[in-house]
Amino acid sequence: MSAIAPTTGAPGPPRRSGSSVAVAGQMLGADFLKLRKKRSTLIWALVLAVAPILIFFLVSAIQHASNPVKYEPAGGVKNFSDGLRVVTLFFGPLAAILIGVEAGTGDASVGVFRDLVVTGRSRMALFASRVPAALALCWVVIIGAFALLLAGSFIFASNLPTPGGALIFNGLGFALLGTGVLCVIAVGLASLTTSKPAAIIVMIAWQVVASPLIASISSLGSSRRAILSQAIAHFSPVHVGEGGHGATVTMGEGTALLVVVVWVAVFLALGAWRTRTMDA
Amino acid sequence: MSSPVDVSTAAPPASEQADSGLAIETHGLTKRFGERTALDGIDLRVPRGSAFGFLGPNGAGKTTIIRTLLGLTAANAGTMEVLGYPVPLERAQALRRVGAIVEEPRFHMHLTGRENLKIVSAVRGPETLDRIDPALARVGLSERAGEKVKSYSMGMRQRLGVARCLLADPLLLILDEPTNGLDPGGIQEFREMIRAMVEQEGRTVFISSHLLDEVEKTCDAAAIVDRGKVIVQGSIAELAQGGGVRNELILGVDDVELALTTLGGSELVRDARRADEGLRVELAGDPRTVAEINATLVRAGVGVTRLEPVRHSLEQRFLEVTSRLDAAPATEDVEEVGA
Repeated sequence: MSAIAPTTGAPGPPRRSGSSVAVAGQMLGADFLKLRKKRSTLIWALVLAVAPILIFFLVSAIQHASNPVKYEPAGGVKNFSDGLRVVTLFFGPLAAILIGVEAGTGDASVGVFRDLVVTGRSRMALFASRVPAALALCWVVIIGAFALLLAGSFIFASNLPTPGGALIFNGLGFALLGTGVLCVIAVGLASLTTSKPAAIIVMIAWQVVASPLIASISSLGSSRRAILSQAIAHFSPVHVGEGGHGATVTMGEGTALLVVVVWVAVFLALGAWRTRTMDA
Repeated sequence: MSSPVDVSTAAPPASEQADSGLAIETHGLTKRFGERTALDGIDLRVPRGSAFGFLGPNGAGKTTIIRTLLGLTAANAGTMEVLGYPVPLERAQALRRVGAIVEEPRFHMHLTGRENLKIVSAVRGPETLDRIDPALARVGLSERAGEKVKSYSMGMRQRLGVARCLLADPLLLILDEPTNGLDPGGIQEFREMIRAMVEQEGRTVFISSHLLDEVEKTCDAAAIVDRGKVIVQGSIAELAQGGGVRNELILGVDDVELALTTLGGSELVRDARRADEGLRVELAGDPRTVAEINATLVRAGVGVTRLEPVRHSLEQRFLEVTSRLDAAPATEDVEEVGA
């Protein structure tokens, strides 16, 4: 503290803060900064989203090269569809969960949350800025993985038909929807639990183990429509399962949308409630 | 999470309150954690433009009152005003010009010092962005601002915490044990910075500490808190004196009995008793009577080997009031000394 020189004159009356839009934009930028600089989370998210696609194309290409008669080229529409499932329903959600959980617990886990609360900014605003920041980073990662998938689908297509514009557009939308929903729910759950390990374990266990298991129990009937992954799969532009629109469980478009909205709304509400009421 | 029960929100409008001469004012502030009462009807008055010490042993409730004032936890009863604004009713307005370090300053370790300030600046509002560099310069961290906080020492983190407070251009700084982790040089610099903020800039600094010496050297006034109660509050000098002016002497004499007899008959002496150091004498009047007392003893044949005015320290007073609390915890009244 050697440089002790006044930074300001005598304090005056409280001044008005910047416009709420400017503040919201700054807060979003700050939350994005925290996330993108969290190297461990970003690296693991990239590994989970990108590495499976790389491995997928690498293995397919090697198989095709070793036995072109038995194995088709690694690109084309079919492999694009398979890769899209990998990105949207298997590994992409894991990346989304990591990013969402980091966004939901980042401030609280290092004890910075209270320093943000003492600024007088509402806790709801602090919570709200986490969601778009997490989504932004999640989608950057997923778009990267999707770009790789697309490139591989064309590069390794050989004589196979390549994905058309509509399929590419719908595929990207599906990937962003599937991972975005998981990311937002992860933010909500992590804000609720304030525990990074607990939130990650619960979300991955639900997504990877419980959801497919419950969806496969046919005796549960139409109640399986409430399973998030089934509702998301309904929006797939490619075949991903046995039911309508490629899902295991058949449901209408409106029902699928409703299920997704309810899941998102419930977890956002829980996360917001916890952020608003917890001791900082 | 305790629910906010009975916290009054019926304070006068902010326009009338914001000009109050007090930076912090609480009435009957109570906070309970289950069966345990952490704050027990705290009445606190912190004048603006002063450095105010909030003294107490560990677990006395120092951090709890800070957390309550800042809205980090809800009170169970009582009223609070910060910079004249009722809290929690107008908490956002109250905290806009408050900078605070609660317990130890925490940061995102994977970010640089400057990035950490940018995050708080984003939350406080765009007008605070311009204060980042001056704040870093003020605490002497300009050259290390680009390094990740995980490479900072504890002292540097404390300074970065102060820089974070300065982003608010604070009228009131609330610092919880601010010299923890600082070396003696750092403590001295910190003390100078606090005094500059108060004397040159008119800011109010509220310092919670269990370091009596630190508060005595840094603060203008203080409150002593123990077991969730404010035991006594007032200026440092008044606190040290114990609420009244007590002029005392320590005497070294060659004949204690004769000295006690002589002093017992003197109208200049209110009380004289044996002490570890020799005799402890409380004067009845002006401290200038010391020479006369010395002459009286010499005339009576007592050899005086030592004659030393007692300097009342805050530490003595602290030990007095906290030990007195041990004796009668339930009946102790809050004592206010001085004006």
